[in-house]
Amino acid sequence: MNTPTNQPVLQVDGLDVRYGSFQAVQKVSFAVQPGEIFGLLGPNGAGKTSTLSAIEGLLKPNGGIITVAGYDTRKQPLQVRASMGVQLQNTSFQPELTVAEIIQLYAGIHGVDLTTEKTAAILADIKLEDSAGKRFGQLSGGQQQRVSLVIATIHRPPLVLMDEPTTGLDPQSRRQLWERMESMRNKGHAILLTTHSMEEAESVCDRIAIIDHGQIITIDTPQAIIDGNRDKPEVIAASRKGRITLEDVFIGLTGTTVRS
Amino acid sequence: MTTTTIEPATQPLVNLPSTSNVFSRLLKSDLKVQWRNRRATIIVILIPSIILFSWKGLVKQFGGAFALSNCITFGLNAIGLMGYANSIARDRDKGIFQRLRLTPVPRWTIIASRLAVQLVMIIVMSLVLFIIGYQVDKITLTPTGYVLGLLTAIIGGAAYLSLGQMIVGLIRNVETVNVTSRLVFFLFIMIGQIASFGGLGEYWGNIANWSPYGATKTIIAAALTPGAWNNNTSISLLMSLGYTLVFTILGIRYFRWSTK
Repeated sequence: MNTPTNQPVLQVDGLDVRYGSFQAVQKVSFAVQPGEIFGLLGPNGAGKTSTLSAIEGLLKPNGGIITVAGYDTRKQPLQVRASMGVQLQNTSFQPELTVAEIIQLYAGIHGVDLTTEKTAAILADIKLEDSAGKRFGQLSGGQQQRVSLVIATIHRPPLVLMDEPTTGLDPQSRRQLWERMESMRNKGHAILLTTHSMEEAESVCDRIAIIDHGQIITIDTPQAIIDGNRDKPEVIAASRKGRITLEDVFIGLTGTTVRS
Repeated sequence: MTTTTIEPATQPLVNLPSTSNVFSRLLKSDLKVQWRNRRATIIVILIPSIILFSWKGLVKQFGGAFALSNCITFGLNAIGLMGYANSIARDRDKGIFQRLRLTPVPRWTIIASRLAVQLVMIIVMSLVLFIIGYQVDKITLTPTGYVLGLLTAIIGGAAYLSLGQMIVGLIRNVETVNVTSRLVFFLFIMIGQIASFGGLGEYWGNIANWSPYGATKTIIAAALTPGAWNNNTSISLLMSLGYTLVFTILGIRYFRWSTK
């Protein structure tokens, strides 16, 4: 990992995203350090996806600056995309290609040449050595996530973005994915993760940001967020069994209304 | 919330693959996908071949150039509308383009690779029809006729590919693209074929002759027998190029990489 160690891998400053007159993201700022798992939590419609899309370069923000590994997303988009790996919530690849071909294609367009032997070794590492010739759609949900994660990290990017990666996974697959994320973190990758799962946020994230109505409400470690908000009446009111959890703080801060 | 000042990167942190390398990898994958989509490929080549085969009797009456130009135009229609438009809409709906946009590939290479595959299909289809025309219908052309015929097939193919691009640009829903492209396909075929045999009368016949179908058929027919090129053919060539330009502008202006 060749990122300067004391500089954030991802820096978001004053991000603004508008869809017509609707302000989806307003003056959002945060930074993700190397070797950190940073969670972005928020109810539906809070602005998580818009924030992530702006970082990924899929939409043009209306204001603010985003840098990835020192590259500005507006001025050096190719370098930015080369510096990050993305695991989407719903990933799809060409249905006619085999798993091995998909891995080789995406490795190649990231500048990583993979021989057949290296591809086989990668598949063996994620316990899919028998799936090289299968189509992506033939894999189970957990297997698809493993392939997607390999593709997102094959070029050893400083920053990995993961959009609700454990949605729909069984507990074993989820735990396995958490272990892989922690392994990536220990190797120096920075991970930005969006999730609805409070358990995931508490278990895996080093720091989390809670976003609602397009604005960051708080950023800190999960325990510090709990400790800093446990005495608030709205958090106590949200508590169910007397013990204040991250979920209680989240509901206390964002409200109990169900968002569509 | 704290912000950190970012110093510019002092050394290249990313390895950007060359555009030619990226394009060749995309092209290789897209050719594999096309080859494995054998049903679609065969239909595009088989149906005009069957028509040409069944028109053996008409060749003596109307000439080889008439038969070949009609069949090639039919094939171009199928490639642009049924082949290209539907595959772009399908892959967009599945999120395949979204996934590719997250990589450091210049975005134009994604569509350029798809177009290059269709160019290969146009050349293969035309050559197959030339061979069937020679073997079955005893249509013999000069070498110049074959070369110019192939060139005008490519020009006419560009008009249909740009029409397909316009359809996916203006329509996002994959089922609607499917229905629209089939409707336009059958409309062009029916009107074009009826007009070819003088069934529409002079007024509507002229309109059909200046349609993308009619213009393409006219230039191919004249190119196959170079001595037959006249002012009308030159106007048809300009019309073809004009259609390509207008459809391309609309197709690029309104195209969205995602259906969301």
